[in-house]
Amino acid sequence: MSLLDKRIIIVTGKGGTGKTTIAAALGLWAARSGKKTLICETHGTNRVCPLFGRTSDGYEPVQVHRGLHVLSITSESAIEDYVVQQIKVKKLYKLVFRNRVMGPFMDAVPGLHDAVHLGKVFDLAREVDGDGNNRWDLVIVDAPATGHGLHMFDSPRAMMELTRVGPVYEGVRQVDEVIGDPTKTALVLACLPEAMPVSETLDLWKRLGDRKDQVAACILNEVIAPPRSSTADWKVAAEHLRTIDDPAVKEAVELTETWMDKAQNQRQARDLLAQEVKVPLIELPLLPRRDLRFQELQTLSQELDCGLEPE
Amino acid sequence: MRAQVIVCCGSGGVGKTTMSSALALSWAMAGARVVVVTIDPARRLADSIGVELDNQPRQLPLTGAAQGGELHAVMLDTQATFDDLVDQFSATPEDAQTIRNNRYYRFASTRLGGAHEYMAAEKVRELTQSGAFDIVVVDTPPTRNAMDFITAPDRMAKLMDGAVMRWIAMPATRSGWRALEFGSEAAARVLRRLVGRGTIGEIAQFFDLFRGLWDGFHARSMEFHSMLRDPRTRFLLITTPAPSARSEALYFLEKLQEEEMPFGGFIVNRHVPMPVHALKPEVLPEHGPLPDIQWQQALEDLRTAPELTSQIAQSQHRSISALKAAGPPQASCWQVPHMGRELHDIDALHTVSAWLPDIDELI
Repeated sequence: MSLLDKRIIIVTGKGGTGKTTIAAALGLWAARSGKKTLICETHGTNRVCPLFGRTSDGYEPVQVHRGLHVLSITSESAIEDYVVQQIKVKKLYKLVFRNRVMGPFMDAVPGLHDAVHLGKVFDLAREVDGDGNNRWDLVIVDAPATGHGLHMFDSPRAMMELTRVGPVYEGVRQVDEVIGDPTKTALVLACLPEAMPVSETLDLWKRLGDRKDQVAACILNEVIAPPRSSTADWKVAAEHLRTIDDPAVKEAVELTETWMDKAQNQRQARDLLAQEVKVPLIELPLLPRRDLRFQELQTLSQELDCGLEPE
Repeated sequence: MRAQVIVCCGSGGVGKTTMSSALALSWAMAGARVVVVTIDPARRLADSIGVELDNQPRQLPLTGAAQGGELHAVMLDTQATFDDLVDQFSATPEDAQTIRNNRYYRFASTRLGGAHEYMAAEKVRELTQSGAFDIVVVDTPPTRNAMDFITAPDRMAKLMDGAVMRWIAMPATRSGWRALEFGSEAAARVLRRLVGRGTIGEIAQFFDLFRGLWDGFHARSMEFHSMLRDPRTRFLLITTPAPSARSEALYFLEKLQEEEMPFGGFIVNRHVPMPVHALKPEVLPEHGPLPDIQWQQALEDLRTAPELTSQIAQSQHRSISALKAAGPPQASCWQVPHMGRELHDIDALHTVSAWLPDIDELI
């Protein structure tokens, strides 16, 4: 089953692994494959729109490309949506939840913020237009960094355990049915091919327990292209090059070896990951430009295309 | 005199743990008694120094340190710290046990919004006042919202505030509700309907039990609050040249200034320096000790490395300039070069510390 046939994709991983970039590239890929796609940022971040040269528009989806919209979810707005849906009266919501004592109380219910985020995603995924068609074929979630990202994924179950009965229990149970269904929801793990991010991803993999089958892919970001020369050839060449009396050549030899070492370390980290994490590993290249623009996103989404839909 | 506190902040993946450890190590080598507190559940500090860590300071072996230099490390255990606090503030051991057994407490102590950060704050306060250390280095939790660590005690204090607890714990009688502001009765009704009566009961019991602990918690929060603004405290903003890390650092700086907390400078990790020399193609011999095809491939590798390095360095340079331009005029900025290898042993930390400030440069 293709990743494109899912309804929800949750991108998670350690901080700094490029989750947002990956979510954006995935979104671009899905939209180009003809899916009406929505990227959801969490906890009010606004990082995706700027990648497309757009400014965000708060709680309304912004179109950033043909077939691709972006929305930033905040706990406050998601809670409001949820409660208004439940009690049907917006005025009552304002009366109750803008109450001085309610804010801290909402913070006191463990997992509530995460659960309402997912509840919002669930609602978006089943939203229909006037003709009864799904408004979105695919909702991509740019989840918080690992530890917390997993909390979010688990939050419906935590809420179910805490509440046990009642409308909230019913609500989160429905959410969990979709979020926990491997045919509907996929997890994509973002990682860098370096020792610490890999060890954290392995840790996440263990903690996923029986939900491992929901992991559709692990995306390794910033992979250095392997050198053209074999190690043995380079050794011979480098020895000769070092005899050239030119500081630029000496520096270039040093830099080449630094990059080769790095590429070698990356391959080791990747192999360590591949031994344990039995899902497709997709590699995205290191791009020299660090402030990504649309052009770079397109490059990345083409790489994803090759990795996710092999001919 | 209480210890100096150095708080390392930054978004995830910038190398906070490595920088905090390297700072602690270099100050210990210079003769200070240093403890580094890591809050990372992913055990990265333990990975990098190869020592098992837990909730109590563990002294790490140091060779060649100046007289008096000691390095200790703590890995925060949120649950254990919370349990300790409950024990300390409970009137009797039985009270403490009742709280510990409350089902909601088991949830709240690890998953409550801000519990993690709050317990980190408590640990730092405890170590700072223990008298056993000259410097406490704090590796803050990886949070989406950089301010969570700093505001945690205030948020926790608000949550524990008598008004909230009374409101939640109060029996739902008309006379009870009347004392409160308009709308509370409706609020309680909605809440019961949403969350279920049983759950509310348990949460209420928790808050009721906690009422006796409130004064202790509140006092601790206030101490931490003023400690963060003390002249013996500095916040270091750790970042990389990546634009997303940079904007996070600048956002954090803005908040520090709003809260009047002392900023110590930027540490820019994974900096790639510009190659010093320009490689001229004509100096490379057309033939070499390898067959021509392989030789040309080797030369291609040789040309690619400086080119890639310089592209990355240029992009980084723009980013670092933007960071400096947005920071305070005289702000210090220490740049730690990308080492080309991974930093996960004590030798690597020694190497990094060469690029980092002495404690006198900070305070």
